Amino acid sequence: MPEILPYLHFVVLPQVIDGLIIGVALALMALGLTMIFGLLDVINLAHGEIYMVGGYAALTLIGWGAGYWGALVFVPVIAGLAGWALEDFGIRPLLPRGDRAVVTLLLTFGVSLVLRDLAQVAFGTETYSIAAPVSGVAFLADVPVPLYRVFVLVTGVATILVTWWLVYRTRIGAALRATAADPDMTASFGIPVRLVYGATFFYGCALAGLASVLLSPIYAVFPTMGHDFLVLAFAVVIVGGMGSIPGAVIAALLLAQVHGLASLWIPPVWAETLVYGVMMLVLVGRPAGLFSRIGEA
Amino acid sequence: MPTAPLTRTVPWAAVTRRGVLGWIGPGLLVLALLFPAAAGAFYLRLAIEALLLGAIALSVDILLGFAGLLSLGQAMYFGLAAYLTALCYLHLTQSFWLVAAIVIAAVALVAVLLGAVAIRAKGVYFALITFGAAEIAGKVVHNTRALGGSDGLIGIPVPSIGLPGFALPLRNDLVFYYVVLVAVTLAFIGVRRLLATPFGSVLSAIRDNAIRVPYLGYNPFWYKLVAYLIAAEVAALGGLFYPLLRGFVGPDLFGFDISTQSVVMALVGGIGTLIGPLVGGVVVTLLQSVLGSYTERHLFVLGLVFILFVRFLPGGLFGLLRRDEPP
Repeated sequence: MPEILPYLHFVVLPQVIDGLIIGVALALMALGLTMIFGLLDVINLAHGEIYMVGGYAALTLIGWGAGYWGALVFVPVIAGLAGWALEDFGIRPLLPRGDRAVVTLLLTFGVSLVLRDLAQVAFGTETYSIAAPVSGVAFLADVPVPLYRVFVLVTGVATILVTWWLVYRTRIGAALRATAADPDMTASFGIPVRLVYGATFFYGCALAGLASVLLSPIYAVFPTMGHDFLVLAFAVVIVGGMGSIPGAVIAALLLAQVHGLASLWIPPVWAETLVYGVMMLVLVGRPAGLFSRIGEA
Repeated sequence: MPTAPLTRTVPWAAVTRRGVLGWIGPGLLVLALLFPAAAGAFYLRLAIEALLLGAIALSVDILLGFAGLLSLGQAMYFGLAAYLTALCYLHLTQSFWLVAAIVIAAVALVAVLLGAVAIRAKGVYFALITFGAAEIAGKVVHNTRALGGSDGLIGIPVPSIGLPGFALPLRNDLVFYYVVLVAVTLAFIGVRRLLATPFGSVLSAIRDNAIRVPYLGYNPFWYKLVAYLIAAEVAALGGLFYPLLRGFVGPDLFGFDISTQSVVMALVGGIGTLIGPLVGGVVVTLLQSVLGSYTERHLFVLGLVFILFVRFLPGGLFGLLRRDEPP
């Protein structure tokens, strides 16, 4: 079988590398969703629109002359502030209610509709593209990969590592995990639980903003960009385990590979359906997902 | 098995509580019966659509208001029924009753299979499973050329409903309106009577405290499954007529937008009131249509209505009237 090696090298490997890059960006998105759920029981259906806000913010900032690198710094802050505002004005008053999982889901859905429509008012339904800040091609194991995608991969992996370090190796992270496990007990130790909630929303949404800046030059900026991406990020969070940080990363990489590799042999639209199929199988067989929730051992 | 007497009869007057709320239903029905006299062709068709979408909202309320289950995929049964109806009229038969029987049987089969899986999942996972199933169903239809793919199925013939001695031509909008009104009203009365029986009480008890109910000898699984099955059939009722109103079906009938819109309708009307979601269906459909003729921003308004109701009026319109029962 002399053909199998070149096939693996020149057909399968590029797809694996591509899946890796998309998977890392997807993990950023899923991390925000899963942290917010793990801490607050809130399914943030507006997360996709925060991602969209990030895309338009990047477009505007670059239009004003801030450049791509300026956008890379400021957009996560803008997205984070949007998330913090959402938590402060929308989510916080609903938290004492017994059915908070349901009502916050409905509220964030309303917010997502409003934001998506506002984007259409402000920017129209056109698709905008953002130029990649670096051109050129790198070779990973003889496979040509655009240099910008390498940059996305490196930045994404670095951000995931920083997030892991923050959550599992710092006092801030300890406060976060303690709040997830038992907010009342944590508050009695003098930890400002409200601030932990706000900060988690800020950080989770900032990650969505970062993912948006990173992916905008690869995909594009349009009003429903977040909607489609959110559904995929949901599948990731469900498979990884709602509220699990390692689960979100592993499931993102896994599902991106399932999608990418399946696209080689079946039409891409069916590959997408397959991803949801995997999600349903996990939900049926192991509803809590593959990994345990933040704050639980 | 439950040892408590299940045959205990509940006085009809006690469960309907004919206060102000008790007269709203009959009053609305009279208004709906008189409506065609005042409305033009456009609003008559809009009213039919409102009633059909209201049926999905009613099915959301059966689950959320009585079984405590949030379904984000009720549009799946609407879409399934609509596609089956369309396929039957296009290729199989023109008999309304035969199509209705096929749809009811098929929806029951899917609802029992999916329901048995989904109900085992707790809380938010139920919402996610129903959402995922509807998403997959929509994608499969979207990708299947035999089902028309993304274009859907067009040119669906409109049948007459055969009754002993005469036939009701649905081609006539006025007849269509009254048929849909009667169908939705019968579904509503049936659901309300069922939920007023001990079955409904057990269901509400499961919603309020799922841990204690098994100690009383009731298995929550079967009660939830029956509620899920009934809700699916009610949503399918909308799908049974919808293709005849529009003349076509598309994969978006399975979609997240219809599922969530029906949750909005239930929320606006008042969850747990049964009549509220039907009224919410009419209000939201009308709002969207009227706003749609003035501005393209009806999505914005829908989102805003959603936020305001969740935030400030969680009991919905009818929640305002139900002072006796705190939400």
